[in-house]
Amino acid sequence: MVRVSAIEPETWFLPRRRLDELVQALRQGGRDVIGPTVRDGAIMLEPIETASALPSGWGVDNSPGVARLVRRDDERVFDQPPGPTSWKRWTFPPRVTQMAWNGAGESDGDRQPQSATAAPAPMAFLGARACEIAALAIQDRILAGGPVVDPDYVARRRDNLIVAVECAVAGGTCFCTSMGTGPELGGGHDLGLSELDDGFVVRVGSDAGRRIVDGLGLMAATDDQQQTAEDSVAGVRAAMGEPLPMEGVPERLVAAAESPRWAEIAERCLHCTNCTLVCPTCFCTSVSQRSDLDGGSATTERSWESCFTLDFARVAGGNFRTRPEDRYRQWLTHKFGTWWTQFGSSGCVGCGRCIAWCPVGIDVRVETQAVAATAPAPSIARPIVVPASFPAPAPPVTVVGKPARELAWAQALVVDSRRETPDVVTLTLNTDDALLLAGRPGQFVMAALPAVAAPPISVSRFHPDGLQLTIRAAGAATAQICALERGATISLRGPLGRGWPVELAEGRDVMIITGGIGLAPLRPLIDELLARRDRIARIHLAYGARTPADRLYKDELDRLAASGVIDVAQTVDRAGPEWLGRVGVVTQVIDRVLCSCDRTIAFVCGPERMMQATVDVLHERGIPNERIYVTLERHMDCGVGLCGHCQLGPYFVCKDGPVFSLAELGPMFEIEGI
Amino acid sequence: MSPMSRRQAPRRPRVGVVKFASCDGCQLTMLDLEDELLAITERFDIVEFAEATSNRSEGPYDVLLVEGSISTPEQAEEITRLRREATMLVTIGACATSGGIQALRNLADHDAFRNAVYPRPEWIESLPTSTPVSDHVAVDAELYGCPISGRQLLELLTALTVGRRPQLPDEAVCAECKRLGNPCILVAEGVACLGPVTRTGCGALCPSFGRGCYGCFGPKESANTPALAAWFASLGYDDGEIARLYAKFNVGAPAFHQIVEAKR
Repeated sequence: MVRVSAIEPETWFLPRRRLDELVQALRQGGRDVIGPTVRDGAIMLEPIETASALPSGWGVDNSPGVARLVRRDDERVFDQPPGPTSWKRWTFPPRVTQMAWNGAGESDGDRQPQSATAAPAPMAFLGARACEIAALAIQDRILAGGPVVDPDYVARRRDNLIVAVECAVAGGTCFCTSMGTGPELGGGHDLGLSELDDGFVVRVGSDAGRRIVDGLGLMAATDDQQQTAEDSVAGVRAAMGEPLPMEGVPERLVAAAESPRWAEIAERCLHCTNCTLVCPTCFCTSVSQRSDLDGGSATTERSWESCFTLDFARVAGGNFRTRPEDRYRQWLTHKFGTWWTQFGSSGCVGCGRCIAWCPVGIDVRVETQAVAATAPAPSIARPIVVPASFPAPAPPVTVVGKPARELAWAQALVVDSRRETPDVVTLTLNTDDALLLAGRPGQFVMAALPAVAAPPISVSRFHPDGLQLTIRAAGAATAQICALERGATISLRGPLGRGWPVELAEGRDVMIITGGIGLAPLRPLIDELLARRDRIARIHLAYGARTPADRLYKDELDRLAASGVIDVAQTVDRAGPEWLGRVGVVTQVIDRVLCSCDRTIAFVCGPERMMQATVDVLHERGIPNERIYVTLERHMDCGVGLCGHCQLGPYFVCKDGPVFSLAELGPMFEIEGI
Repeated sequence: MSPMSRRQAPRRPRVGVVKFASCDGCQLTMLDLEDELLAITERFDIVEFAEATSNRSEGPYDVLLVEGSISTPEQAEEITRLRREATMLVTIGACATSGGIQALRNLADHDAFRNAVYPRPEWIESLPTSTPVSDHVAVDAELYGCPISGRQLLELLTALTVGRRPQLPDEAVCAECKRLGNPCILVAEGVACLGPVTRTGCGALCPSFGRGCYGCFGPKESANTPALAAWFASLGYDDGEIARLYAKFNVGAPAFHQIVEAKR
C-alpha cells in the first residue's frame, strides 16, 4: 500500500537477470502478482508466478481498431502500449455476487438477504503505467471516495502493491500527454521502474516499496543509468507529438448536445460496448438475479455494464436512450465533459484502449475535437472547472469503515395493503429501522424480494412506525410487491436521494402539479406543508388522472378539498356522467389557478412530457426556473451513485436528485435522449 | 408472468414443446439440462413433447415452446391453430425466430430448387420462403440461438416460476466476451467476427476458442451490420466472403439479410 510520506529520492538498479527476485519478493506473504503476459495474441494482465511469464521481446503495433503483436529482437519486457485488460479486472471484477437469500422461510419476505463480502488475497500490480495509476485513482474517488463506498472494491483495492513502469515506447493510440496523466510517473506507486536494455532503474515511492528494495540489496543506479531512463521517457513524450487542444472541450461537448456529428458517429458505431469495457475508468454495473427453479435460494450478481446497451437507460415505462447516437453522446460527453463536474477530473486518462480495441476503429481523439468544433459559440454551457494539471493520484484506498449504511437492507412488515386503482396499491409498512423512519419527503427506497429485481420506489407517506409505499404493478417485481399481504415482510434500503426543499416553501404560495401515480412522491410533501401550514401562504394542488377511478388517495383528496386548507383542483382525461369535476389536461387547470406568481414555488411530478408542458405554463405565468422543482425517474440499480445507470449530465439522479430545480437541469430537461 | 408466480400457482403450468421445420437441436438442449430436468418436471406439467415422451396433448397449453420455421402451407395453418391453444407462446431457436438456415431459399428460386432436387416436384408442397413464427402469429417471448442456450431456457422457466421478467439481455456478444477476459480477435488478429452485431446468449463461445462469432443468436438490437461490413472490407475481405459470413442460421433476420442482398 502506498502511503504519502516524505521519502528521500532513492534510485537503484535491478539487473535484468535478477528481475525474478523482484517478482518473488512481491509474492511474499501470499500476495498474487498480476502482470503483463502474452495470451491469445495479445498482452493481457494475468496472475504470474515468475518473471519468465512477462512478454520478453514482444511489442504491439496499435492503431485505431488494430492491435497486432510483433516479435522484437530483444529481451525487454515492458515495451508495449496498454492491452485490452486494465487493472480494474482485478480491483473491480466483471462479476461479483452481491447478496444471497438462503433457505426457505415462512414466506419469502421472512428471509433476510445476506451481503456477500469479498476476501481476496492481497495483490501486487506489476507494470502499471502512469495513465493506469491515474485510472486507479479515478476509480478510487468514484467507488471509495464516499459518501457511499463500494465494499467489494475496497476489499480488493486495499493493500495493493503497485510496481509502476515508466513507458519507454508510445503506442499508436496513446495520448496521455493530452490528458495530463503521463508518460512520466507522477506518484501513487510503491516502486517505479524504468526499463533499460540490461535492467531496471528502480525508484522508491513508499515505505512498502523501500522494504522490498532493501530486501533485494540493490546497487544505487548510476548517473548514466538515470540519464538513460530520463531520455527514454522524454522520447515517449516527443513520440506522441503535440498534445491535443483539450482546453474548453469539456464545456463544448456538453454544449454540442444537439450536434449533427452524433448521428454521423452513430452510423459507424456498433454500440458493441467494447470501448467501455476496456476503459480503465468506466464503472457502470448492472444487477441481475440468479435463483434456482423455485426461488428457494437466490443471489444477486453485479456485472460490468455499458451505457451502450439498450437496457442501460430502460425503466418500466420506457427508455431514455433508445437511439445509438444518444448512447454515444452519453459516453463521450460523460467521459470528457461532465465527469469533471462529478469527480473533479476527466474520465479519460489517454491510455488509448478504446481506440485500439474499438472493432471499427472509432478514435476519441478525433471525435472529441470534431464534436467540440460543432458547439454553438459562444458556449451556452455552464463552465466546467478544469484544474491546470490532472489531480495527483491519491493514495490508494485506506477507507476501512463499515459497509455504508445506504447499502444495508432493513426488514419492514406489511401492516396494511390498500388498492388505490386497478393496478396501484399502497402498502403500509412498519419498521424499527431508525434511518428509514427519518426519511424526508421526496426520498425513495429500494425494495427487494428474493429472485426479482429491486426497484426504486418513492415513499408516499412517513408515519411514526414506518412508511407507506404506493406502487404500480408496472413489471414483474412491482407486481409481486403489490401482491404482498398483511403480515408479509420485505427488505428495504434507504431512504435515498435528495427530496423536496420544503423549507423554501415557507412564506410563499405553493403550486403542486401532478398526474397519475406522480402524486405518490408529493404526498409526504403535502403532509409536511400541512404540518407547517401557518408559515405558508396559499397551497394549490392540481391533480390529473386518466379517469376518476385512476385517482390515488380519493377519500383523502376529497377530505382535503372539503376542508379548504389547500385548494384542490382535480381533472381527468375522460369520464362518465357520474364525474362532476373537470375534464381536460392538468395544464389547463394550472392556467386558471390564482396565485401571486412572483412569490410562488412549484413542485411537479409526472411523466416527463407532462412535466415539460406544465413547465411551459409555469413560465408563461412568470415563475422562474429557480422556483420550479421536478422529480425525475431513471433506471437505478444501486440508488447511491455507484452503478451509473441514472446519469443525467453532471448528475446522478439517485443521489443528486431525484428532485431537481429546473435551474439545475437547464437545457437537459428538454433535450431528447440525454 | 405473475399469474404463474409460486405465490399464486395452484397447479403446475401445462407446457407443450412442438416443432416445425428444424433439426430438433433446440429441443435436445432442453433434454440436456440433466441436472434440472427433475425440478422442471416438478414445476411444470409437460403434456406434449414428442422428442421426449409418447404422451401427447393437443392443448390447451399455459406455455408452448415452438421450435422451427414455417416452411409449408400446412405448418402455416398449424401454427395458427396452436396459437389459439397457448396462453404464452415462446419461440426457440434461429429457425423459429428468423427462419433458420433454410431461409437461404428466400434468396433463391424456390421452384428451380424443387425441380432440381425432386423427381416429382409437383408432390412437394412447400412455401417459397422459410419464415419465423412471428411472421404468422403473435409471439410472447423469443429464445435465440442455433441452438438455444440451455442457460437461457432455464432462466425463462425460472422466471416463469418465481415471477420475474426473464433476463435475456440483447447486448452484443462482445460484452460477455470482454467480461470473460478474451482479447478481441477482430482487433488482435483481423479475424472476421460477427460478435459486435450479434445478440449475446452463447457465452461468447466461439471467440473464447479463437474463432470469429458465426452470429448464431442473430442480430442484436439496432445491429449496425453495414458499418461492420465496411470494416471487414477495409481489412481485405471481399464481397463474397462478407456475404457468406451473414448467410447462415439467421440469414432471414433483416439486419443480416440486408448485407447478404447487398454483397452477394
